[in-house]
Amino acid sequence: MGEAFLEVMGLNKQFGGLKAVNDVNFSVAREEILGLIGPNGAGKTTLVRLITGILKADSGSILFKKREITGKKTWDIVNRGIACTFQNMRPFRRLPIIANVMVSCLSPRAMKRGEWVKRIEAKAMDALEFAGISDMALEDASTLSQGDLKRLEVARAIATEPELLILDEPFGGLSPAETELMAKSIHRLHKGGRFGRLHSEGPAMIIIEHKLQQLMKIADRIIVLNFGTIIADGTPVEIVNNSKVIEAYLGEGEI
Amino acid sequence: MDLIRFYVRKLFTVLKNEVIVLPSRVVVVVFFLFLLLLPVFTNNQYTLRIFTLTCIFAILAASWDLLSGFTGQINFGHALFFGVGAYAAAMSNLHVHLPPWASIPLGGLVAVLAGLIIGIPCLRLRGTYLALTTLAFPIILMGFVFAFPDLTGGELGISGIERIARSRVTNYYIVAGLMFGLCTIMWKITDSNTGIIFHAIREDELAVRASGVNTTRYKLLAFCLSGFFAGIAGGLYAHFMRIAGPSTLEVSMSFLVVIWAVFGGVATIYGPVGAVFILFPLLEFLRFWQEYRTLMFACVLIVILLYMPDGLFPWLRDKIETECPRCKIRNIATRTVCRVCSASLE
Repeated sequence: MGEAFLEVMGLNKQFGGLKAVNDVNFSVAREEILGLIGPNGAGKTTLVRLITGILKADSGSILFKKREITGKKTWDIVNRGIACTFQNMRPFRRLPIIANVMVSCLSPRAMKRGEWVKRIEAKAMDALEFAGISDMALEDASTLSQGDLKRLEVARAIATEPELLILDEPFGGLSPAETELMAKSIHRLHKGGRFGRLHSEGPAMIIIEHKLQQLMKIADRIIVLNFGTIIADGTPVEIVNNSKVIEAYLGEGEI
Repeated sequence: MDLIRFYVRKLFTVLKNEVIVLPSRVVVVVFFLFLLLLPVFTNNQYTLRIFTLTCIFAILAASWDLLSGFTGQINFGHALFFGVGAYAAAMSNLHVHLPPWASIPLGGLVAVLAGLIIGIPCLRLRGTYLALTTLAFPIILMGFVFAFPDLTGGELGISGIERIARSRVTNYYIVAGLMFGLCTIMWKITDSNTGIIFHAIREDELAVRASGVNTTRYKLLAFCLSGFFAGIAGGLYAHFMRIAGPSTLEVSMSFLVVIWAVFGGVATIYGPVGAVFILFPLLEFLRFWQEYRTLMFACVLIVILLYMPDGLFPWLRDKIETECPRCKIRNIATRTVCRVCSASLE
């Protein structure tokens, strides 16, 4: 594993009597795709929300590119190079799909990057093209299906050209064929390069997912969370064979 | 001569290809011509006065829409900006002897300052809490007005302010021209990239923040822009009425603005402007039945809101125009194919 790109140290978050995130420590390398799995209520989304500044941690520290981002505002964290998608999609329903992505293109980070920054619409269109919904660019976001909303979330996130992309259940609500396509897109994005006017830094990724087979294919490393605590950390093969994981998450038997 | 001919031909081309194709644009042009020619058809001072005031309130209603309609920051104390603009223009004119062309923009700038002062603490609040807090600010300012009568004129207000122009017709044309100009600027703002962010903030503020946009800055910008335009309206009101009194800060003024905007259709700019041009003269017309005035006004409001929840003007627009399902260009409702992409509209 390379040098730590994102470092989470001793992170804690409590809601009333419930410890949602309990002394979590992990790091992500620059070229890595990290899978984050765990049963429902394990604290995965809370952990992501702490990293992106949507929630404030009770204690602990988060370093991104060796700089402290704990307690920073969400928009500030995004402008430092971390983008995320939401598990429960949050589109701007009464705005056209292209305008949804244009909001991300208007962030200071996105405005600073790219050669054609004045053509915000063109850049937004390229993000939609990448996500595979450019043909519906002028429709209102309220008309999109569940699967297309997931794509819109991804398009919005990549429009800021992030260096760390956090995807919360990107395959949720997608058909097997769509899932396959999305997995390929994620892999292509991770490799980096130029997609029209959009430049992919080849971002490191944290992917929360319940479709384990698909996740195992694209993730380099997997962390398993249960009751807010990391119970396993290793390669997909190690995780599959880890008895704690089988007991807590996968149930008995083999996958 | 050739140049004039060129521009006349260009004007006709634009009218033919861009205006006549859509009823809503024709209505805007007719409305513009109506305002332009009104003094030609009537010499009645009272009518001109009503329409001058209507233009001033149209700016005020559109400025509320810019803030509350577009960004969703419900402001129940919009009279604050109006009052601050009126008092600032009146004081600078009376005490510093600034002419109206300087005191009115100054009123707008002081209202921007007021926008910053109330915006910074209020932006931590949302929804009803924000609405109720903003409601308090004009009342607080009214307290100051009564507390310092030497400076503010107390209950009587500041009177003896210079007119915008000597003639009532000139007054009317200046105010109507400003109304058109300022409303166009507001509409352009909402149609720009900033407008997209305003829209998005109303839809889901957290998602905007997660897109890397500093929403606090944009909300503050909305407060300041809205304050500026409302302040200009206040300054115009003070110079037109030649008085800046506590009535400009009254709660009823704040709610009247909300009624106009909701009646016309929020987040449109043209809706509140159109609503003021219907409701303000209507209220004056109903003066003849003084006892039933408020009742009839309320009935009109209820009927509109019951049957047209998005407001009168978006409803009308949807009746006379249809949107092409393919290219999203608007067409006259009677067309069967899109005027741009030829897609079927049935």
